[in-house]
Amino acid sequence: MQVETIRPAGGRPAHIRHDDLISTKGVSVIMGTDQNRQLILRDIDLSVPKGSFVSLIGPSGCGKSTLLKVLAGLVVPSNGSVSIAGVSPGEAARKRMIGLVFQDANLLPWKNAVDNASMLLGIADKSMSRSALRARGQEMLELVGLGDAAHKRPNELSGGMRQRVAIARALALDPAVLLMDEPFGALDAITRDSMGQSLLEIWQRTGKTIVFVTHSIDEAIQLSRQVHVLGINPGRITQSLDIPLPYPRDASVTEVPEFVRLVLQLRTMLRSSHQPGGAT
Amino acid sequence: MSEQPLTNLSQPEPVSGWNAAISSWLPAVILLLVTIMLWEAAVRIFSISSFIVPAPSEIAKSLVAQRGTLMQATVVTAGEILFGFLVSVVVGIALALVIVRFDWLGRALYPLVVLFQNVPKVALAPIFILWFGYGLAPKIGLILVIAFFPVTLSMLAGMQSVDRSLLSLMNSVGASPTQILFRIRVPHSLPSLMAGTKIAATLSVIGAIVGEFAGASDGLGYVIQFASTQLDTALVFAALLLVSVLGIAFYYAAEILERFVVPWAPKFSRA
Repeated sequence: MQVETIRPAGGRPAHIRHDDLISTKGVSVIMGTDQNRQLILRDIDLSVPKGSFVSLIGPSGCGKSTLLKVLAGLVVPSNGSVSIAGVSPGEAARKRMIGLVFQDANLLPWKNAVDNASMLLGIADKSMSRSALRARGQEMLELVGLGDAAHKRPNELSGGMRQRVAIARALALDPAVLLMDEPFGALDAITRDSMGQSLLEIWQRTGKTIVFVTHSIDEAIQLSRQVHVLGINPGRITQSLDIPLPYPRDASVTEVPEFVRLVLQLRTMLRSSHQPGGAT
Repeated sequence: MSEQPLTNLSQPEPVSGWNAAISSWLPAVILLLVTIMLWEAAVRIFSISSFIVPAPSEIAKSLVAQRGTLMQATVVTAGEILFGFLVSVVVGIALALVIVRFDWLGRALYPLVVLFQNVPKVALAPIFILWFGYGLAPKIGLILVIAFFPVTLSMLAGMQSVDRSLLSLMNSVGASPTQILFRIRVPHSLPSLMAGTKIAATLSVIGAIVGEFAGASDGLGYVIQFASTQLDTALVFAALLLVSVLGIAFYYAAEILERFVVPWAPKFSRA
């Protein structure tokens, strides 16, 4: 039952499975000017199976957001290769395979919920008519539980509802991968829990592959199938933890002894990841 | 779901129509009336000569007696302000768009725009008269150089304050720079642009009067100058009053425009 892989820092997986939707090999990111070059990410080997829910967790400044941007094609790695379903992230983005959700919902305040939900799709697919876009937006709002709020402007929505619209906007592209950068980070604990539950339902209904960046140990374990721990200076994957808790998971999963054990284990991993590790 | 919709979070409900309006305006009205009464009393008690400080009643008399001249001058000046203001807004917006859209042109233009802002533009009035004569053109030119800057600057600030992750989202679906400009940056800049436009509206009034001072045969600025050479100080004040009324009218026109252009923007409330 306990399939637990603990990889040494910098270690590479023996082989990359064919059902991996996302795989990176030896990805490094160097940023900054010539005088002040900083190694943000070093030797990232990440493989995410199709349909999986994977979390990236680590201390601030470990480069987990940068890694997400690499997967989204927004940051080009200095070294290594990235493949999303066999193509480069840039190509994958052009094929609308990538949906992004950030901590801030970033809705357009002058558009209502349904137009916000279809906004990116409208830019990605210029051939779609206004009514087709609206219909798609409405469908996605219903998927995230906001079917009634279609005509509300962002300033009439709560923080959680705004974030639901942001998720609907990403899903409207019908992407293969949903990349989420601390999407619930600005929400209160109760809203956060209900958003997590909704996300799991959406994940199970749509079968998307999700890569989820978070600060929260509980959130990582509650949601994901696998958690990768990132270390700092330079940012690298130090350890990985499989979460064998069965789906569907609801809020009660946090009371299971196995959950508590996993929390302790992940906490220990996180603590050791805080130490800078120059050498492998 | 645990979340509740928060309706109209940014707009607190006013107490009630007329009562609220009266209670918010009343102090200002009372202060104004008291000031006018003290002014009237002071002029009478100290028997101040009316060509130095005319009493409010003298100003009112002048306003009525010269209403034909004043009305005609007001129409001329209002036309200059309106025309000059519109030209300033159009030029200001166009400059901001060019600076943002064409990177190299922006880098060339922006420092020049800032440099030009430091030229004392009132001093340009005689040159404009020299170039464009005594008609409408020099006034429009002067209003333009005085009023375009807040428009350009506020729109630039608005366009450049777009959240980076929103730009990331746009880039992730392959949005072109032009799409980002017109779908995101321009609408995002509107609240800020409207603030700049309100400043431009008040500066347009100043531009028109300065233009008329420098050389004109009509308009409220001309009336002020002409009346002061005649020591008709009451008429000067009457014209000044009308200039102020024009200024307030243009400001509120811009504010009403704002409500139509950016109904989503958080409102600044007096209360």
